[in-house]
Amino acid sequence: MIIGEYKTDYGQDEGIWNTWAKKLGFVVALLLLLLIPFIGNDYQLLMAGQIAIFVIAVVGLNVLVGYTGLMSLGHGAFFALGAYTTVALHQFFPHLFPLITLIISMVVAGFFGFLFGLPSLRVKGLYLAVATLSANFIVLFFIRQDWLEHLTGGRGGIETPNAYFFGTELITNQQKYFLIVPIAIVMFLFAQNLFRSRFGRALIAIRDNDHSAEILGISLFNYKLKSFVISAAYCGAAGTLWAYFFPAILPEDFGLNMSITLLICLVAGGMGRSLGPIFGTILILMVPELLKMGAFYFSEGNASAQIYFSPIRDIVFGLMIIGFLIFEPMGLVSIWDRFWRFINRWPFAK
Amino acid sequence: MLSVQEASLSFGGIHALSELTFEAKQGEITAIIGPNGAGKTSLFNIISGFYKPQAGRVFFQDQDITHARPDKRAALGIARTFQNIALFRGMTVLENIKLGSHSRLKSGLFDSGIYYGAARREEIALRNELERDVIDFLELDHIRNLHVATLPYGLQKRVELARALALQPKVLLLDEPVAGMNREETEDIARFILDIQERWNTTILLVEHDMSMVMDISDQVIVLNFGKQIASGTPKDVQNNPAVIEAYLGTSAKGAA
Amino acid sequence: MGQFSQYVMNGIMNGSVYALIALGIVSIFKSTKVVNFAQGHVIMFGAYFYFTFSVMLPEATFMPDWVLKWEPEWLAAYKEGALMFSPKAAIAGWVNNLPRIILGIIGAVICNGILGLLIERVFMRPLLGQSSFAMILCTIGLIWVLEGSASLIWTADVDQVPPLGPNFPIRFTLFGEQVFFFSASVVNFGLALFLFGLLMLVLRFTRSGVAIRATAEDQSTAYAMGINVPAVFSSAWVIASTTGAFAGAILASRNGLSPTLGLFGLSVLAIVLMGGLDSFLGVLIAAMLVGIFESLTQWQLGGEIAEIVPYVLVLIVIIWRPNGLLGQAEIERI
Repeated sequence: MIIGEYKTDYGQDEGIWNTWAKKLGFVVALLLLLLIPFIGNDYQLLMAGQIAIFVIAVVGLNVLVGYTGLMSLGHGAFFALGAYTTVALHQFFPHLFPLITLIISMVVAGFFGFLFGLPSLRVKGLYLAVATLSANFIVLFFIRQDWLEHLTGGRGGIETPNAYFFGTELITNQQKYFLIVPIAIVMFLFAQNLFRSRFGRALIAIRDNDHSAEILGISLFNYKLKSFVISAAYCGAAGTLWAYFFPAILPEDFGLNMSITLLICLVAGGMGRSLGPIFGTILILMVPELLKMGAFYFSEGNASAQIYFSPIRDIVFGLMIIGFLIFEPMGLVSIWDRFWRFINRWPFAK
Repeated sequence: MLSVQEASLSFGGIHALSELTFEAKQGEITAIIGPNGAGKTSLFNIISGFYKPQAGRVFFQDQDITHARPDKRAALGIARTFQNIALFRGMTVLENIKLGSHSRLKSGLFDSGIYYGAARREEIALRNELERDVIDFLELDHIRNLHVATLPYGLQKRVELARALALQPKVLLLDEPVAGMNREETEDIARFILDIQERWNTTILLVEHDMSMVMDISDQVIVLNFGKQIASGTPKDVQNNPAVIEAYLGTSAKGAA
Repeated sequence: MGQFSQYVMNGIMNGSVYALIALGIVSIFKSTKVVNFAQGHVIMFGAYFYFTFSVMLPEATFMPDWVLKWEPEWLAAYKEGALMFSPKAAIAGWVNNLPRIILGIIGAVICNGILGLLIERVFMRPLLGQSSFAMILCTIGLIWVLEGSASLIWTADVDQVPPLGPNFPIRFTLFGEQVFFFSASVVNFGLALFLFGLLMLVLRFTRSGVAIRATAEDQSTAYAMGINVPAVFSSAWVIASTTGAFAGAILASRNGLSPTLGLFGLSVLAIVLMGGLDSFLGVLIAAMLVGIFESLTQWQLGGEIAEIVPYVLVLIVIIWRPNGLLGQAEIERI
């Protein structure tokens, strides 16, 4: 509890930034995000853009997995749908305004989310995980097909367009940063808002106790499907930005590995917590970079040692997910919570 | 107001309810009693829609709701509490109570996500109303920001009642509201139930094993045994009904002879 | 019609291997309520162990020659005059390999059993009492750990492994058309069904089988009745990993070795859900159905579509019957 906080009406109590510390934190974070493109080098901006894109997808996954309690192993598919929709759209309208592409991608991904969410009404937990896993395989199967090759590039992948923002082509990572990060902030805040009002509350209720949620008047049919659609649409948006950000895409980019990586980001950060996706994504995307540096250091630039890199990265990822589950099941956010609890109580208690 | 007509429900070979008929009158407290396994909770489950009866019908305000989904019934104004507490354990008391009013609120996905505007107005209005009509009324103001999982049993039961009340129900189903409570807590709850009846003229259905409370507060008592209604009437009638005495105490020596 | 029955029979043979893999997933689920997403990767380890003990070890310099190629005198006499690719030659070739096949199977079963035990002890046991969600995620983490370790341990180029049975074509006519199989597939088929049946018998008639079934019904009651539930968990993992060793050996001899062998596990998971997680019989039926459908689509529509057959089928089946073909619906209570 932060001392000296008192509120005079319910509106203040209902706010997200209901303490000065949170307000300050948000402002500082915004300033930092504004500063990054001017101080970071190209490589750092590449990482920043990638993290921002992943944050969008993981926030979306959090809506479904963290807040609604439905399992998904297929969100790579929605990511793919967003990316390929963008590529296909730009073949017909090369200078399409990026936000329009974004919305169309979200609608397309959301529609498929609706389709693959249909089993969620009949089946729970594990069955859903396998149903979504199947969705992932099926979507990628169609993307690889020859008869869609003119749109998707088939198994060989396809070059992706750059975004045109009022006639300016966004080429450098710095330019792209200014497209991606604001979208990420808006989408993050949208999700954050969801869970303090009627809609999101209903989703959490379904997670905690679906039977009593239904008896309170929450239509499981409606809300589970909507949760699927939202999270798919978020991944679709991430896919669009991914297509703008990177020069080319391959079907394999969006396979099971992508789906699992998204889940790991969520677990590492903390499921069902708003800051979880941010912490988790930063950690998980930084780990391979650190490993790369470490591998370079230990092998002293020896190229033959580089072949060990990818299996070691896999093992580290796998052990990290298990380690989090065993030692910190609520993810990095709970460390963050403990830290602030400590600060708030210090020096009176630990 | 609320009536069940010839409802039957069975699981495999077990008949939880067989051709049960009864009616609850507007504004009255109807108690349903009976030995364990008599079908009391099953009856609640077919009223709230968790189970569908294999035969028979359920009417609410002259509307056939036999096949309506549970969430539709909530929207019509049927609220319930559970025998084993079914709160949302990850949430605070206030959030649990707010969920009770879900079906009365309007803001959808985009209102909620944008928040500023319609959703915020609605939330603040709701908060005002709940503080007045539910939290203050059930004396929960000191714990409204605590997580329900940390609360003692008696308070959890009360939070569940508060959540049902937040629906502004026309019919309130209470499944053993005082089970496992001491005398004092029982009296508190009994007082709340009578207050609810008086203040909102709510029709209340009550399943309870605490006979003294049942006899004190109910207007009508229905006795079930083996899924059948064996007696009904005012508390006094029921207390003296031989079939009821038999169901509770077993066949009397004279009857067995 | 002959062609059709040819493909149906191929399908049944493939299906039996699926059933063998599924066996592991079901036995772990039944006793621990954990669905092992990494079963395919455990099997991949089985395949690599089989490779290690049947190819790498016999080729080592310190091993006696007869392990790599066993040529007793009676065999030479038997082999005399046999034509290339004739059953006789194939059987003789198989007998040559017999010592290393046996060594391979024994080594794979033991090592994989230890692997299963380790996984249960190190990774799953600390999660006991957590949500099934956490457990599933843990097995997903295992996928990466196992896949990475396999490619670290077995970096050398992989060779052919010896098939478990003699391999010669069997030809006969059915409905007026030529039909043929490889005898090795028939052996695999028989082995898979034998193991499946054996486990059924063990579960039904032995003391530890009863303990496993009791734990499957109700963990805490089983505990209260004096059943050593953690031991049951370990044994379920050991059963899964040892049957997985056989499945791995079969897959390695049939499809060749690669770290992507683990992906089989995911399609088998689809099969398990199709059959019903808690029903061995349902899973067996589903495995056969998927095998048949796969081979028929391969015949009519090409090999690529066959890859997604299990995934499409599982979607259809669980929308139609949410608990699988023979799975039991739980009566939910509040």
